[in-house]
Amino acid sequence: MKPTPTLARAGCVLAAFALAGCGFFESAEDKAAPVISFAPYTENYAGKPDFAYVEHRFPLSTADLYRITPKNLSFLDQEQVDQIYARLTAGPIPDGPFEGDLFFPRGGSGKLRLSEIAGGGLKSLLVNVAGAKLDLIGETLWKGKVFYRDQRLLRNRIEDLDALKKLGLVEDSAANPLQKTRVDGKDQWLLFPAKLYCGQSLLDGRRESIIIDYAFTDELPGYRRMPDIMAGRDGFAIRDEIRMVYPGFYLGRAYLDRAFVVNFVLYNKDIAERAKDEFLKTGKVQQDCWTGTQQRLVVMAPARTG
Amino acid sequence: MKRVLAVVALLVAVFVAAIPIAATTLPGAGTTGAADTAAGAPVATPAATPPTAKVVHQQDAPYYEACAREGLNESECAGRLIWFKATAGNERFHTYVFQQRVGVLIDWFRVLRADQRGDRFRAWGIINDPACCVPGSKNCPAKSLDETYGLDWCPGDEELLGYVGRSGYPDPACDFRDAPLKEGDPHASSDQRQSACDLRFGTSTGALGIRKFPNPRFDKAAWVKLNGKAGSWEGYNRPIAAAGGGSEAARSHLQDGGIEPPFLIGTSCGSCHIAFDPLNPPADPANPKWENIKGLVGNQYTRISEIMVSGMASNTLEWQMFAHARPGASDTSAIPTDQVNNPGTINALINIAKRPTFADEDVIKWRKVASCGDDKDETSCWCEPGRNGKCWKKSLQKETVHHILKGGEDSIGALEAIQRVYFNIGSCSEQCWVNHLTDLRQLDPQQRNFGQTPFDIGQCRRDCPHFRAIEDRLVNILDFFMSAEAHVTDLRVARENVRRAAMPAAAYTEQDLIADLEKEFGAGAVARGSEVFASTCARCHSSQPEALAGQTAGLDFHKLDLRTGLREDWLGNDRATPVSEVGTFRCRALHSNHMAGHVWQEYGSETLRARPPDPNVKEPGDGGRGYYRNVSLLNLWAHAPFLHNNAMGPELCGKPKNAENDFYAKRPRYVDGSNVKLLPADQQPACFEYDPSVEGRFRLYKASMEELLNPAQRIPKVTLLNEDVTLRIGPRLWDGTDKEKLLGFELTIPSEIDGRGVTAGTIGNFQHKQFIVDLVRAKTDAKALEGSLAERFGAETGTRVLQDLQAIAGELVGKPNALVEALKARPYLIKQIYSSCTAEVENEGHRFGEDLPESDKKALIAFLATL
Repeated sequence: MKPTPTLARAGCVLAAFALAGCGFFESAEDKAAPVISFAPYTENYAGKPDFAYVEHRFPLSTADLYRITPKNLSFLDQEQVDQIYARLTAGPIPDGPFEGDLFFPRGGSGKLRLSEIAGGGLKSLLVNVAGAKLDLIGETLWKGKVFYRDQRLLRNRIEDLDALKKLGLVEDSAANPLQKTRVDGKDQWLLFPAKLYCGQSLLDGRRESIIIDYAFTDELPGYRRMPDIMAGRDGFAIRDEIRMVYPGFYLGRAYLDRAFVVNFVLYNKDIAERAKDEFLKTGKVQQDCWTGTQQRLVVMAPARTG
Repeated sequence: MKRVLAVVALLVAVFVAAIPIAATTLPGAGTTGAADTAAGAPVATPAATPPTAKVVHQQDAPYYEACAREGLNESECAGRLIWFKATAGNERFHTYVFQQRVGVLIDWFRVLRADQRGDRFRAWGIINDPACCVPGSKNCPAKSLDETYGLDWCPGDEELLGYVGRSGYPDPACDFRDAPLKEGDPHASSDQRQSACDLRFGTSTGALGIRKFPNPRFDKAAWVKLNGKAGSWEGYNRPIAAAGGGSEAARSHLQDGGIEPPFLIGTSCGSCHIAFDPLNPPADPANPKWENIKGLVGNQYTRISEIMVSGMASNTLEWQMFAHARPGASDTSAIPTDQVNNPGTINALINIAKRPTFADEDVIKWRKVASCGDDKDETSCWCEPGRNGKCWKKSLQKETVHHILKGGEDSIGALEAIQRVYFNIGSCSEQCWVNHLTDLRQLDPQQRNFGQTPFDIGQCRRDCPHFRAIEDRLVNILDFFMSAEAHVTDLRVARENVRRAAMPAAAYTEQDLIADLEKEFGAGAVARGSEVFASTCARCHSSQPEALAGQTAGLDFHKLDLRTGLREDWLGNDRATPVSEVGTFRCRALHSNHMAGHVWQEYGSETLRARPPDPNVKEPGDGGRGYYRNVSLLNLWAHAPFLHNNAMGPELCGKPKNAENDFYAKRPRYVDGSNVKLLPADQQPACFEYDPSVEGRFRLYKASMEELLNPAQRIPKVTLLNEDVTLRIGPRLWDGTDKEKLLGFELTIPSEIDGRGVTAGTIGNFQHKQFIVDLVRAKTDAKALEGSLAERFGAETGTRVLQDLQAIAGELVGKPNALVEALKARPYLIKQIYSSCTAEVENEGHRFGEDLPESDKKALIAFLATL
């Protein structure tokens, strides 16, 4: 894998929730919301359109998909992000290393922390007894990942263990050394193993998503009780789901104990560049998961905007 | 049965088991014997002919035999086969969606394991499939549980098992032979029905109405590694203690979406509606024969709710919310939850042709047309692509419709009411309706799934092939409903059949029945009972025009319609009565899924929604809620206990050998009315053990009638929480060093508050979202909240609620778990203010007839037994 801008941002890890300066790209498309169509909606839940309607009436073209970048999604509000997610398919289960990042939608605060969101919007009442740990998990977990597609396994790449160690959350000993990998010439620790499978989206049931499930992390190779337990069923019960925007780029949703907390993106530049021409030409890609039965229009011409 | 097994054994000898082969067929076979129409049934329609053009699967043979026995024509027989077998794709719901999206786990092995086949009826109320066998038993084609992954072997498995772990299974539904198209159908210019493959039959699991399909994603090596051997699910369903210990519920790999079981399990409508024939019950309920089984009676013993939560620990919210329906009842709004706890019985479908209809109701729905003409708006007219003139147009019209469901909901037409049953069983869930449900964890009113949104019939037709497969054959299912299989099952005939079993020439006449009844209930009881019925009951429980006009004296309630041979009187007018007038447990009447903006809006008529609220109900009852239909009393002798929740009469119990599945023992119901706490075990009336025999049903009928007519003697029944249950709002953390810490709220509903028991419905009815929204507003926007509370509850109560919410918010600072104690100190917030239904006693109300003399009560019991 070639060096990416992301890997040059070693100092940005702890400022991950602040968007400025830590993005993947520097292109103009990153600086404004993608120009794609959305179905009309209102603020209240009852005014949100059915996803089947959104997809039927506002299909995304492949050209539309390439207007979306890992960075410009944050200029959208959550409903717009949701409408994009619903119009994606799972695509192939990824393989190899991916860069990752959390993002908060327009209207959400860049300073909003997971521990506040996870309280179900109850921050005015909450006393955050475990917030520091959860926030740290957030800063750690939705960053770089390594997919082991054939094993249906995922591990998270941790560049900096210091923060975890300061909270006493890393068990390390000569008898049980931490696993490492080397990406772009840099050592990275592999923690938080998770299962990979095709499963239900908790947002849009019309087709499956790729699930990254930490529930039984303790049964996976490379598991170490601390810190991995915090992501598992006895910890925060983290379950992510992802769908492919285009080859090499996935949009994800993270859940704690089945409650949605944050969006994230995963990106592999090599795959993205290698597959772009073919995908633009055909709009087709391998589908590893159930794609549903709603006829999904592959619109090769630019879609309407609005 | 023996013949079937012999054929199967022969086939297995020829073909190697577990290797995909051509469909097992009986070319030209399938119908044997003359129609054995039950006495008292109307003139038989032409018997079904066996399919000739397509393959006849071995597993279908008994079904065609049943069609011949019942005298069903081709359409009725096609409808029957669909009713018994079609899952319409819901095997994905029962394997993936319910578990992962809804978050409720089914332990299919616990329910279906072959080594407990003999205990299934007593545990789960399941009707065993007579064609299936326990691997290793005599004449069973499968010799070991490993061959069938622990389940029964059933016809068709010689093919299906070879596809476990790989794709390409040719579903037997693809060979379903359709009935001829109906004349006059706007779509019948040619056969344009959706492929029958989309009906999805699979093979039986050994439990009638529960079907299995090979899982192409199954990894046998991984399965054996997890479970030790192919025939065990021990590693999959074994409880895994929570690391936090204490009150935390155990988990299991049933929640692990990374493990693919060998089968996808689906259910047909028959899973709840298939039952033992009251006229011909099995000698051994665990081993019925085909002739003991009917498809429309309704299974009075099913514990479908317990089946649906069979993989959950009992101290979970989900178990407590589901597993409280009585045998024969289920809460069909538990999955598409309206947060109104309201189990209802599975209706016995009897003499549907005589069921009352209602003219001139305002109905918005899609109707078949041959063309959309100039209408290009697909939200009002849509033609199926690739078809010739197969179009539907949506409009508001006056219609004559049935009133279905307990309160008359599902009122846009009989076909659509049948159509919606398929959503109750999970069909098209992913394509059409899970996105419209309330997510109990979503607390932000601005986010999707904070509340329900309406299911869109047009969208579902367009996007779900299983919907179209069923819709194109609804007329066959309705024909089945109208068929001889739904005809009355009178006590006289049942008793005659019993006598004929011992002596084929025996007769049991109407006079014999009356004589026996009068021997028990007094001389002249039947005749006197008819008079009492006319004066006391018929204003609601007769469909005769004179009764509807208030003139009930002298009516003949047994009168036959000579044209059809059916009983003229349906013995219920199906009209809606305000729940406060009936006085029965009102939660079901407050069911809200058919209200405007709610998930089943499109299945309710505008007329339904225009009904005024019952002014005597204190909970919100708008949108047409607050009513119960006046139900049919046909064959009352065979369908006790009574009322919409089966609460009137003795409590039923199966007493299974496996004590883990003894659900009645886990939840006795009789309480001390003064404190709503369970009576001591030695004061609990004995439960009534499952007994589908003729005299068993009759005994249950009499006991239930006694309770009905003597309300002062009823011991109150309440379904109580049997342990404290904790709701978690926000994630938990157990970090391995301290006891569990919480980020969000922990809200424990105690099983007892201030010395009073707490009902299980308290959880299902708790409006936690509104409570939390108000709790936040009490701190952030108290003035606006005060106005809102005053509007909802009146000024005085509103002020009290606001003060308590503000106090709670203060008590929580620094102590999120203080909510438990805060609410314990203010139980009215959970039990009244934030509850969708506050009713407690489940066997109250319907006191009509309580003032009758004892002799008249007995007369009424005698007379009703003849209906």
